[in-house]
Amino acid sequence: MIELKNIGVQFSGRDILKDVSVMFNAGEIVGLVAPNGTGKSTLMNVIMNYINPISGKVILNDELEYTNKKNEVKMHQLVSMMPDQSDLYNQISGKEHLKIYSSMWNSNPKLIDSTIQELGMESYINKNTGTYSLGMRQRLCFAMQVVSDTQVMLMDEVMNGLDPTHVELISQILVKKKSEGKTVIVASHLLENLEKYADRIFFMKNGELILVNAISPGFEEREITTVRISEMTDSIKGEISKEFPETKVRSLPNGATLLDVRGYDSGELGNIVEFLKENQITEFSFGKVTLNDLYSMYYQEV
Amino acid sequence: MWAYFKFEFFQFIRNKKNIAIYVILLYFACYYALKIVPTYNPIEKVDVSEIEARYLPRAEFLKNVEIDKGTHYLTSYAVAIFSEWNEYDKARLDALKKHNMKEYAEATSKWYKYSDEMIFPDVMNVFYYNPGYYTYGNNYAKKDGHYAYLYSASRYKGYTEGKSNLSINVFEERTALQTLQRLLDSYLPLILIVSCILFTVDIVLKDRRNPTLLQGLPLSDWRKLIIKGLVSLLGSLIAIIPLSIGLLIIGGRNGFGAFDLPVPIYSFGKDLFSNILMWDYLVQNMLFIVFWFLFIISLLLLVSVLLKNEFVNLLVGSMFVIAEFIYFERGLGAVRNIQWYPTSYVQVGQVISGYRNYLYGSEALTFGSGLTVMGLCTCIFLFFTFLISNQKKFKLL
Amino acid sequence: MWKILKTFFVIEKSNKKNIFSCLFVAVFVFSLIFFLKNMDIGNSIKEKSDEYQSISTALGKFQNIDATDSGNGSDLYKNLVRQQQAVSKQKMALKMNLPKVFLDTAIDLANLRAKAFDMEGFDDVAIYLPSKIDNQLDSVFYQYIKKIGMPLSIDSLSYFQFLPYLFGVLGSFWFIFMSIYSCGIMIEEFQHTSLIKGYPITFDKYVLAKCISSMLIVGVFLLELFVCSLPLIYFKGLGNPSYPIAIFNGIFEVYPIYQYIGISILYMICISIFTILLSIILNVLLKNMYLTLFLELLLYIFPMLFPNMISLVPFNPFNYLNFPNLLNGQMIEFAKPVVLTSTHGLIYIGMSITIMIVSVKLFLTTGRLKKV
Repeated sequence: MIELKNIGVQFSGRDILKDVSVMFNAGEIVGLVAPNGTGKSTLMNVIMNYINPISGKVILNDELEYTNKKNEVKMHQLVSMMPDQSDLYNQISGKEHLKIYSSMWNSNPKLIDSTIQELGMESYINKNTGTYSLGMRQRLCFAMQVVSDTQVMLMDEVMNGLDPTHVELISQILVKKKSEGKTVIVASHLLENLEKYADRIFFMKNGELILVNAISPGFEEREITTVRISEMTDSIKGEISKEFPETKVRSLPNGATLLDVRGYDSGELGNIVEFLKENQITEFSFGKVTLNDLYSMYYQEV
Repeated sequence: MWAYFKFEFFQFIRNKKNIAIYVILLYFACYYALKIVPTYNPIEKVDVSEIEARYLPRAEFLKNVEIDKGTHYLTSYAVAIFSEWNEYDKARLDALKKHNMKEYAEATSKWYKYSDEMIFPDVMNVFYYNPGYYTYGNNYAKKDGHYAYLYSASRYKGYTEGKSNLSINVFEERTALQTLQRLLDSYLPLILIVSCILFTVDIVLKDRRNPTLLQGLPLSDWRKLIIKGLVSLLGSLIAIIPLSIGLLIIGGRNGFGAFDLPVPIYSFGKDLFSNILMWDYLVQNMLFIVFWFLFIISLLLLVSVLLKNEFVNLLVGSMFVIAEFIYFERGLGAVRNIQWYPTSYVQVGQVISGYRNYLYGSEALTFGSGLTVMGLCTCIFLFFTFLISNQKKFKLL
Repeated sequence: MWKILKTFFVIEKSNKKNIFSCLFVAVFVFSLIFFLKNMDIGNSIKEKSDEYQSISTALGKFQNIDATDSGNGSDLYKNLVRQQQAVSKQKMALKMNLPKVFLDTAIDLANLRAKAFDMEGFDDVAIYLPSKIDNQLDSVFYQYIKKIGMPLSIDSLSYFQFLPYLFGVLGSFWFIFMSIYSCGIMIEEFQHTSLIKGYPITFDKYVLAKCISSMLIVGVFLLELFVCSLPLIYFKGLGNPSYPIAIFNGIFEVYPIYQYIGISILYMICISIFTILLSIILNVLLKNMYLTLFLELLLYIFPMLFPNMISLVPFNPFNYLNFPNLLNGQMIEFAKPVVLTSTHGLIYIGMSITIMIVSVKLFLTTGRLKKV
């Protein structure tokens, strides 16, 4: 597990991270969600010690800190970050990249072949990476990190340029890594996908990390808390407020409307369905707030 | 096209490496003008004491010698030749006393011609050229002297016939234009060619750092390459600007000289010099150097698309510059057709002035043959570049 | 350490630069053989005739007078006349194949010349005669040959005779070659920062490994020098590995060829490490391989542009990078002579290497690497 304590980062006088304290546990997938330029990568760079924070520290397993170069090496042995695709060596093969990572981290060499197989890279793994497509390179970068087999894995935009099949494939591997007791920290814009397997999701705003649960209590609960209507006119909204004065109605910048139905029994829910049907509204769902909605709620406020 | 040219050119000008090259050239130009030029000490000087040291004893000898039957044949010989020789020396001394440059030039020209006629055929080694040529380890002192004397004779003849202002600085080739001429005869072409190599070395391969930005431009690879070549050519020509600052400094100190000063050109077949004018010589050199630029640029474009490695560009380019040092040998031209190797023309000024022909013992290294060979090679390189860049599988980046 | 080395092997073996550098070294060796053959270096008869001519020119500065001991000519004049006689004698000895006569005369000649340096009016004829250092080198060389009783070798192209020549020529260029080879050493790595930054290894170890892998390639270059010269054994014979070479190392002495080669290799290895480290540091500071190259070359020629700096800063390692000049004693021919010895050179270069390693360890970290 890895702990951040009062991390502060400033770039040219602007706070990028403000007094961030958080703990990432073993056996957990953590999602970081935020618009571009809000400090996700900065946070990861701080965890890797690529950026020196002006305050605070990173503590690994309650004992290791970036106090000297020796410790940095020890920590890098346990914490890895996914490489950028543009940094691959074009003149050597994908397999050799994997071998490099495996030997650099002294991991089990068997992982190389098993990872190639899991990610379906057999057909091209022996070709020079100069010939790879964007998705192939992305998979290779992911595979390299998997092969390094570190305790904490940081992945920035891991799903970039991947088709839905591979997104699913990689997600499964992430879940597997989690079950092996690893801490996986993922920054991604594929919100639905993240919602599915991340144990905790953080938003970032104004240099702070905000646990999604704190904005939307019950986000992680397994019960019906919300009725989500993707499109609705303002007049109907007004009628709902009249019809169900106790129900909180919330309109989102992305056009959706949320009805807070926490604690409603099936009768009350039935009434709502009936009302919606009467008003010719066909696209609605029961469930909880989606990450998409939260994102919209949180970041797209006008 | 034009937009791409501008885009490439701005990249070229902003390239740290290229700026560094211009700065270094400027530095060396100033260093040369301020530190090396003042120490220039030509062997063929305007030196009254030197002339007197030769003239007075001989005059004394001629006055006192008595020729009879028993006179040693060398003495008779000396009497026979010294009188004419001394006439010229006397004329030189008188002209210098009167500060009459024209007369000095005329007498000096005759003096050099006569001296060479006396010294060169002399197999008994009783006469020597200026001792400056016979330094320790110089195995070709006599040949050097022969060339220098004929060269000087022709040069002074040119001064006599020409209309330009004469001065000691002109006689000793110290003015800015003459310094330029001397430099073209030595390292200047090499410096320009090396600069051109350094300018061109990354012009294609720098784009590999941001391929997605440039791959999609609506221009064929071949056109891109040609434009890159043109940018590099322009950049190499701009290198003349920092160098000319050195020239201005020299001009300020020693005078600029004139564009109608004579430059002697050697022709091997006749073992004779003929003069052309300075501007003619400079234009020929400029043209030749442009051909060298084209040669180097097309070569490096070809290597760039073939091997795609900057380091290799640098190695291949510099091999063409140093190759001649390896095979050069005096008189080699008689045995081998060195005029077909483009590398034989690397000393541009010497090729034009005929000195290379003198060294190689060949008459084939000429301005015309040089342009032909360089031009042909350029065409061949460009042709192959064209073929490669038009291949279906070829990727520029 | 081993794991990062392994990584470098994988990467370096696919690097075109190494292949072409090896090719270049081979081409260089063959060109040099060709050049030596062309130049007819080692043809003593030819060299002696030219020497004769030079002395004649020097004598031309004097009036022909009685040159016997009792004659009224100046000491220098008499000395030069005897030098001329000695050179003629050597020429004859060569033609008649009398090595012993040649050797004795060579020693006499060197002694004569040694005396001439202090005579009045020597400066006027200095350019026609070998320099003091050359003469002293000649002197120790011939005396050694005589003492040992070794036959004079005149074939400069036999294997062992060729090698010191090769190392001497290459040694002058070695720093330039190494700077061209290594000027982009880290820039290439900077294209892959996101990989390198995360490696569980400190930057100094990384640099060390980079040095070691580059040095292995340098080892290949050095090996190549020997291998490419091998054909000479077939054409010109093996030569004698303990044949002497006169050198200057504080004092004038002779080294057998193998020792000369040994020193050369030692120097070349030190220069290589020095250059590679310098390139690494300059790469990190300047982030541009050509600026690195230009700066290195400027530092190299700086002592030549401003020779006074050599006596002012004798510990500047760049004074010593042209080690063949050092061993020739050419460094003590300046107006203000400075005794630069090869041992000092090794010490200063070694110290610079240590300083650079320490500064890499102290100041540079992988985390600060920026992509270029």
